[in-house]
Amino acid sequence: MQTHREMNFDALVVGGGIAGLQAALDLADQNFKVAVVEKDASIGGKMIRLSKVFPTLDCASCITTPKMAASAHHENITLFTYCDLKSISRESDTVLAARVVQKPRYVEADKCIGCRQCEYGCPVHVPDPEQGNFSMRKAIYIPFSNAIPQIALMDVENCSLCGKCAKVCPTGAVNYFQQPEELVIRAKTAVLATGFRLTPLDQKPEYGKGKILNVISSLDMERLLAPHGPYQRVLRPSDGKEPDAIAYVQCAGSRDKTLGVSYCSRVCCMYAIKQAMLLSGALPLADITIYYMDIRAFGKGYEQFFQNAKAMGIEFVKAKIAKIEQADNQSVRLRYEDQEGAGAVMEREHDLVVLSLGMVPEWHPEGICPVGCDTDAFIRTPMSRLSPTLTDMEGVFVAGVAAGPKDIVDTIAEAGAAAMEASNYLNKLNKKAAA
Amino acid sequence: MNETDKKSQKEALKALRVQRKASIERARNAVKEQNKRVKAIVAALKDGAKTVPEIAAATGFSTPETLLYVATLKKYGRVGEGPKDGDYFKYELLESKAGA
Amino acid sequence: MADNNQKDPEPKVGVYICHCGGNISDHVDVAKVAQEAEKLTGVSVAHTNMFMCSDPGQELIQKDIKDGKINRVVVASCAPSLHELTFRSAIKRAGMNPYLYDHANIREQDSWVHHGDPATEKAVALVAAAVSKARHLEPLEPIRVDARNHATVIGGGVAGLRAALDLSRRGIQVALVEKSPFLGGRVAHLNRVNPTGEKAADLIRPLAEAVCNDAGIQVYTCSRVVRFEGYVGNFKLGLKRQPPETPEDLAKLEKWAESGKKEGDYLPFAGYYPQKVPNTAEETEISTGAIVFATGFKTYEPRKGEFGFQENPEVIPLPAFIEAVAKEKPKGGTLTLNGRPIRRVAFIHCVGSRQIPGLHEPDDQGNLNEYCSRTCCSATLQAAIEIREAFPETRVLEYYRDIRTYGRGQEDQYERAADHHVLFFRYEPEAPPVVERAAGGTYPLTVTVKDTLTFGETVEAGVDLVVLAVGMEPNPIQDLIEMMKLPVGADRFLQEVHPKLRPVELANTGILLAGTCQAPMDMGEACNAAQAAAVKAATLLSKGYVELDPFVAKVNEEKCTGTGACVSACPVEAITLKEAEHQGKKIQRARVNPALCTGCGICVAECPNNAIDVMGWTLKQYEEMVDAIVAA
Repeated sequence: MQTHREMNFDALVVGGGIAGLQAALDLADQNFKVAVVEKDASIGGKMIRLSKVFPTLDCASCITTPKMAASAHHENITLFTYCDLKSISRESDTVLAARVVQKPRYVEADKCIGCRQCEYGCPVHVPDPEQGNFSMRKAIYIPFSNAIPQIALMDVENCSLCGKCAKVCPTGAVNYFQQPEELVIRAKTAVLATGFRLTPLDQKPEYGKGKILNVISSLDMERLLAPHGPYQRVLRPSDGKEPDAIAYVQCAGSRDKTLGVSYCSRVCCMYAIKQAMLLSGALPLADITIYYMDIRAFGKGYEQFFQNAKAMGIEFVKAKIAKIEQADNQSVRLRYEDQEGAGAVMEREHDLVVLSLGMVPEWHPEGICPVGCDTDAFIRTPMSRLSPTLTDMEGVFVAGVAAGPKDIVDTIAEAGAAAMEASNYLNKLNKKAAA
Repeated sequence: MNETDKKSQKEALKALRVQRKASIERARNAVKEQNKRVKAIVAALKDGAKTVPEIAAATGFSTPETLLYVATLKKYGRVGEGPKDGDYFKYELLESKAGA
Repeated sequence: MADNNQKDPEPKVGVYICHCGGNISDHVDVAKVAQEAEKLTGVSVAHTNMFMCSDPGQELIQKDIKDGKINRVVVASCAPSLHELTFRSAIKRAGMNPYLYDHANIREQDSWVHHGDPATEKAVALVAAAVSKARHLEPLEPIRVDARNHATVIGGGVAGLRAALDLSRRGIQVALVEKSPFLGGRVAHLNRVNPTGEKAADLIRPLAEAVCNDAGIQVYTCSRVVRFEGYVGNFKLGLKRQPPETPEDLAKLEKWAESGKKEGDYLPFAGYYPQKVPNTAEETEISTGAIVFATGFKTYEPRKGEFGFQENPEVIPLPAFIEAVAKEKPKGGTLTLNGRPIRRVAFIHCVGSRQIPGLHEPDDQGNLNEYCSRTCCSATLQAAIEIREAFPETRVLEYYRDIRTYGRGQEDQYERAADHHVLFFRYEPEAPPVVERAAGGTYPLTVTVKDTLTFGETVEAGVDLVVLAVGMEPNPIQDLIEMMKLPVGADRFLQEVHPKLRPVELANTGILLAGTCQAPMDMGEACNAAQAAAVKAATLLSKGYVELDPFVAKVNEEKCTGTGACVSACPVEAITLKEAEHQGKKIQRARVNPALCTGCGICVAECPNNAIDVMGWTLKQYEEMVDAIVAA
């Protein structure tokens, strides 16, 4: 470690997704100084990676980017992107200390102007996880087109050190020798907004363990539907065919004890219905089928959204998919017991199958932060009925999916609630200090 | 940058190359393989727009790999989407080679 | 830079056209719109961007401002309600007056409703109009009004209590207004809360105590808001406190009297009783800076004959069942209610929820509850489990459409119910279960259903009791909605500005939403919403002042002759006639209170002398826009 910096804030927010940003904005607007620590190179979390959002069908970017920009420009908010959180511990009755490592981008943040000349110049292609690995980026790249900050970073694992990026950079920002930097961020309170990842696709042998062509995850489909997507249209990834028959397998990673995910992930019904609607807009002739156990359209306007989807001709089949197999012509065969017909075992083939995967926590506090988790691995909220954002660690609050699956609307409300708890905690400390 | 700085920078890069020998080797090989594929796909498109299965047939690459390259070439402006042929879109070479 | 704008009268308009990631550019040829815009008088630059609202998009505008290329901005994108503020802030950060900006809506008003060439033509016309207006914009300053450090929470249920306590802890004075004599709302009508199984009493009592013992909170029970005036930061509310008169309140007071409890105590299925009820009606006025709506929900009242309701005494709604069971001691064996053994009980889900036009009958006002009430599935399962555990001889049957145990810990409950041998039947909305008086046999009622879990088999079951899992409806607050002109959705719940951008705010600045007056929620969700509303109120009030947009009427004193036409036309009483002196003579001139003015423009239409204009939307600007549209 070359350098070491120490900084003081009122509040630390862990996670720069929509929950973290909303909590940070609600604190900063009350004139508290806030640090946001984000592991990725851009803030915006999962939401900025989505196409459109239910039930309004607003583009995700239209709702997320203003909050991202507002956070980035707020005089009371400091963003720490591309940072690893090593530990959060209580230093005294009034101070929490977070040890954070700023990972090297190999691009100097204050010099980079986001012109992407380095990316265009780089000769190495690397499959881009931001695009579901359906297209490639370079070994030096801007994370994605609406990323904040717009600073390039280098993937040293795939860099051939040819020197081209340094040569073409107009501001001399490329620095092959950049070192990690250790930061100590002190704050009086913290909000954990660490979000989720999808339940892993490859653990269920009946569903092909991720090896079957044209079986993709729901976030992959978000990329296919997004304006900056890999193909800028919906094609099946095995050969570029425009799919005629698309199926959704609901509860593919939820309500399933064999995966250790016995809970409902709460968003999959709605995102599948939303994607189905967007698909029937993009591919008016395609047949879209949703295989489900229970449709859980419980939020404001959601049931009406579901009924609209039915009226649009999207087919809902109540069935638990037993097996997914590769069929001829790169199609996918689903085997299921039809619960509403004669109960026979049925087989149907589709061009493209989307697994509606559930949510598991992105971050596990063990060994990093002495905050407790429940058996579902999400952060424990001991007063879930009255103060849903309280954790079992004083002065540390939780918001969004870190405290269990929830949709964007519920996440944003919860982030506001966490900000309220954190501001009242700060108030209490300040009053004590004044007394 | 003066001469001595340049020299020390060169030395440091050299040291870094030694340190990262394995990954650099891997990346260089990857670039070679990638360039071969790009070249073959571009060659296949020189005699007219083609769908992904047609490009795959012409080059001998698998269709998923072909689409991955076509999508990437499209992203960096070397290939464009042409008319639809059945269930597939045809892809064609674009004049500009920026970034690819 | 702001000074430069004023010194530099030549308008140089920058036009920025958003693709909205395909939302616009799939239907509008944005490059063409930019080309056409560049030809317009006064336009210096025209750019397009995939997402104008993104950071790179905003930086594009800021760079042009800083480079001195432009001194007026037009963004053509989505509805101004979404991003007008985003772009004004960006312009302000670049050092330009944020009101030298106009917004052309080419998404909701164009690409979402038109396609092909007509869409592009309309976009060109809308941009031309915005550019013409922008050329005639003048710098404005926001109106700053003092804000009282006081908030009023309407509703003393769990959301209202939660919001009041948080606001007070934040250092804001609070008035909590509850129409009934009791605090605790609908949660006080539960025995245990879902899914934690905590006693409602153990949660509501300490919360209500904390509120009532908080020196910063004034609690008004038996009170209603009867008058409303003012604006954010300075609302005035008339409160009427009166002796309780609704049958529900009187019944609860009777229960309270029977219990022999004193003020400051809690009675299950009534609530927390903080203060004696008044003997006479009295009115007070409170001045407040912000208002939090926590007016909650009421349960759906089934129609006569709906699943046999009111035709058979053995058919009751879930809340009545919960209250009845809570009185019974768990003694094993069979549940008895009013001395009658309940060997089998049937729960019917989705009663008054998920209603489908054409299938379900609307209520007498023509309303259908098309929404899911969100809490009934898990509340029903909770009741089923409690019965199976306390009275194992009582069998439970559940008739459902979809089981929606979405929340943390709820899926486990579903499984527990199955483990407890609760029998599930699934029905389609087209073929709901039929409840009938049994012709004979040992059970008074039969429930018949086409069960899709057994491939459409018709299943008939005799039962002693049918419990209807009734949904939520917003509490009837029509008086408040009309008085404060609040937006209401098609579902009759209060309608937030935007579910994600401004989820707890109403379009009425300074009025916030907490809990089930907005949509069905469970207790934890209502508390989250209440705290989110409280944090917004705190943000509004913590600075001591509120800034309002300057789009208000302004009188040209040279032209005004004091006719008073505007005064009588103004719907919000923002204009008065003031005495002034002109060349030694006393004359009357109209004067606008900018904090009260909503910029509606009625006065502009009424004034016989064209002496009044709305800033940022002047007649001149309108004329220019119309001319531009006609020309395009």
